[in-house]
Amino acid sequence: MAKIAYYPGNVARAGAAEVEDCIQPLCKALNIELVELPRASSDGGNVIKQATPKLQDALVARNLALAEAKGLDVMTTCASSHGIMCNTADDMKRDPVYASALNNLIARTSGVEYTGETQSRHLLHYLVEEIGLDAVRDAVKNPLKMKIAAYYGPDMQRDGACSGDDPFMPTYMEQLIEALGGTPVEYDSKCASVGSTSMLTLEDASLAMTAAVLSDAIESGAELVVSACTVSHINLDSYQSKAGRASGKHTAVPVCHLSEVVAFALGYYPDRLAQLRTRVRLIGS
Amino acid sequence: MAIVAKVWIDEDCITCDACQDICPEVFEVTDDSSQILAAVRTDGVFDRNVGGSPLVGTLGAELGDIIIEAAEACPVEVIKFELVSDGADEAVAEAAPAVVEAAAPSAVAAVPAAGASEALTAVLSGDRDLNILFGSQTGNAAGLAEKTAKMAANYGLNAKVVDMDGFDLASLATMKRVMIITSTWGEGEMPDNADVLWNAISANGPGLNGVHYSVCAIGDSSYDEFCKAGHDWDGKLGSLGGSEAYPIQECDVDFEPPWKTWVTEALPRLACVDDSGTLQVDLLEEMMAYGAGDDDDVVEGDFTPGSVLRDEISVTLEIFRYCPQAAESGWDTLTCAVPGHATLEDVLLTMQRDVDGSLAFRRGSGAGTPTTGVRANGRIVLADAATVGDLTSDGGRLRIEPLPGHPVVRDLVVDTSRYESHRSRAEPWIRTDPREGERLPSGLAMGTMDASSATALHQAGDVLSFQLIQAMSDTLPHDPHYEGPGVHFQQWLRALDPRTSEKQRRQIMASLQEKDGIWSEADHASLMRYGEDGRLAARSLNEARGALLNQNRYAGKSGRLVKWYGRSVKWSGNVNETTLYRQVLGPLGLVSNVFSGVSARMALAFTRNGGPPMRGLQGLLVPPAGLGRIPKMFNGKVDDYHEVVSLFNEIDQRF
Repeated sequence: MAKIAYYPGNVARAGAAEVEDCIQPLCKALNIELVELPRASSDGGNVIKQATPKLQDALVARNLALAEAKGLDVMTTCASSHGIMCNTADDMKRDPVYASALNNLIARTSGVEYTGETQSRHLLHYLVEEIGLDAVRDAVKNPLKMKIAAYYGPDMQRDGACSGDDPFMPTYMEQLIEALGGTPVEYDSKCASVGSTSMLTLEDASLAMTAAVLSDAIESGAELVVSACTVSHINLDSYQSKAGRASGKHTAVPVCHLSEVVAFALGYYPDRLAQLRTRVRLIGS
Repeated sequence: MAIVAKVWIDEDCITCDACQDICPEVFEVTDDSSQILAAVRTDGVFDRNVGGSPLVGTLGAELGDIIIEAAEACPVEVIKFELVSDGADEAVAEAAPAVVEAAAPSAVAAVPAAGASEALTAVLSGDRDLNILFGSQTGNAAGLAEKTAKMAANYGLNAKVVDMDGFDLASLATMKRVMIITSTWGEGEMPDNADVLWNAISANGPGLNGVHYSVCAIGDSSYDEFCKAGHDWDGKLGSLGGSEAYPIQECDVDFEPPWKTWVTEALPRLACVDDSGTLQVDLLEEMMAYGAGDDDDVVEGDFTPGSVLRDEISVTLEIFRYCPQAAESGWDTLTCAVPGHATLEDVLLTMQRDVDGSLAFRRGSGAGTPTTGVRANGRIVLADAATVGDLTSDGGRLRIEPLPGHPVVRDLVVDTSRYESHRSRAEPWIRTDPREGERLPSGLAMGTMDASSATALHQAGDVLSFQLIQAMSDTLPHDPHYEGPGVHFQQWLRALDPRTSEKQRRQIMASLQEKDGIWSEADHASLMRYGEDGRLAARSLNEARGALLNQNRYAGKSGRLVKWYGRSVKWSGNVNETTLYRQVLGPLGLVSNVFSGVSARMALAFTRNGGPPMRGLQGLLVPPAGLGRIPKMFNGKVDDYHEVVSLFNEIDQRF
């Protein structure tokens, strides 16, 4: 059984409870043991960084160190959280003096230290590279049978954060969708930002960015959009009708998180999958 | 300049007429093949010249470059030629060599050649300083200045390339040889880096008796004031008593050929200026011969850095096309074999030459020209620097699009005027304080900067092109008023510059804080994607935000978001979304979300997929530190959260 520490990110245990509901059973089905990090805190969400980069890096280094203390890599379902962990790990690797200062802080306050051994893994990369698409395909009980557009967002689509996938023309999620019995849909905006960190402060621009991604996916024939980012998922789903009205674009399409569709395809929550199919075929958004 | 000894045509000519169009003096295309004209051959025969009869007289020198151009343009590479060489080197130059071997610039050697006249020897052994001043907006003039300096070595000149920004005007009068290369900006204006110097020389220019100069003016003939900045300099130097060694050269958009003419003529003349500041016209011919020298010693202006040769790869090329007349866009797709070391510009040039002459793109000088930006396979790169092998592999796809964030003029050419006008309004150029330290003759203070500050400042802004930084933003295409990260990055670097006056620094910070300023970027992650340059820009812009937060005490929505995000994490170790919505949006914002349906979608989002009905509502509405029977997962404290509080207290007690 594969074993990995689990970091839910900032919203999976709050506004995006569906992620938390799905990640546990899907890991069970794929023989992944998730190890909780009950002391892990928020990673600062690239918001605290604006005031004090060092404070955000210290919060992240502490989380990574908590996983390292258990001798495990850490997995998250949120592209934004994954990008943040990779950034801090990169910064510490590049600047040993800075790394030492952060380690002094977290050792003094929390009794842990991050040496760089533990790496952050996004659920998508972990499934494709560690579990393998064949194993996923074998475990599928309810093939998705929908045209699905994958949304990656910008946070993990850069060198050093997207594992073996291409940062600019990624295919991992499309491969996974195929393995789950769905039909992947190609569209240009799959790595574009939807301004998730700025929806509260810069609503007009964020709505326009959200509408652009959704309408692009719809025009390419998508019946469902699957997001690899928990925070962006909120923009794409909760704000989609507002974004559509603000931009005058067609944005009505169901949006799910990656963990949801994997769990559905693996046989969990068949009632929810049925309801999703109804939305896709009859309601639309 | 290449000298061709003989030229001939191999078999399999496709009679496309390209060679005849380029060099009708040498080539004539018949029904069967291209032929070498009898009049240019020593044997006087009209055929393909497979016997290799040499060219007559000095034709090989006069037409050498054009013959080579024709050979390079030949689509089936059947035009062969042999260059005049010193020894027995009989290597045949094949058409279209994609890579030029590294050519090391020869050291300045003011050593007279054997057999040189006494007068030339005397000139070469005196003061040989040459100052090349450039006024540059986009880097073209600066690039030409560098090339000119390399070529000056051929004439025994010690060339120094000088940015007009910060140039000591008084020193101009002490110089014997000056070359000015300047572009013209907007409607006949000086480039930004030349503004201060031009104002100073216009107000109080020194006498320039004894200064020999020549001006190369770059412009765009589609503007009314073509090359005006260059003409202004030419007139001003003349009116101050300077002697024009060679007349001003105007250069249009395709500036390389006229620059080459200018530099070939102006350099030897300036090289003939002797120690006393007298132009020795009688030495010109000898100086030219001295500059031409042996092929091995000559430094060519189109100096190209060495490249690593790579194998040819097969790629599916997809090039974005847009026709403004028809308002139609689409993709040209073809599969071709390309050397892995070829640049995107090489590929585009080949496409333009062999497939579609109407393909439009911006050309560069071959060494990372800032205006050649395109998006290739998602990456933002400079077309004259990025190589095919770095972007794709054998059998792969190469998709070339215009630079994002700018309106497309045609095909891959974008209109950067919005960026330029934002930049112009932001005024990121230096304005110094009156202060202690070095002063210019005009009275302006230069300001001072120690070496470590200079290094740090250079490192902070060490990016290929600010235009590329501008294009990295995903927000910019969706907000027509946003000034953009490329502009703000330059402003922030100027604010960091210790020479910047306090007044200018205050203006910059106020400008960054404005509505379309630095807070208008919705996501720095989109910049971080683009390698080291994007990372550097995102880091700098984040620093600028930190400085603004401190300065403005967390005012406005952005300030409140940071403050309450930090506080909620400090309180429990987790982010409390309810607190953020309440504090950042305020009551009106929350009501707006209720009426726009956002709150309902948030509450129902989970339910729509069949989840427990209360779950969505709880995630949205519960207050901090769970009340009643709310599941522990919502807004609970992390274990040992006092450790998080300690971190906050150690690092930043403002929260």
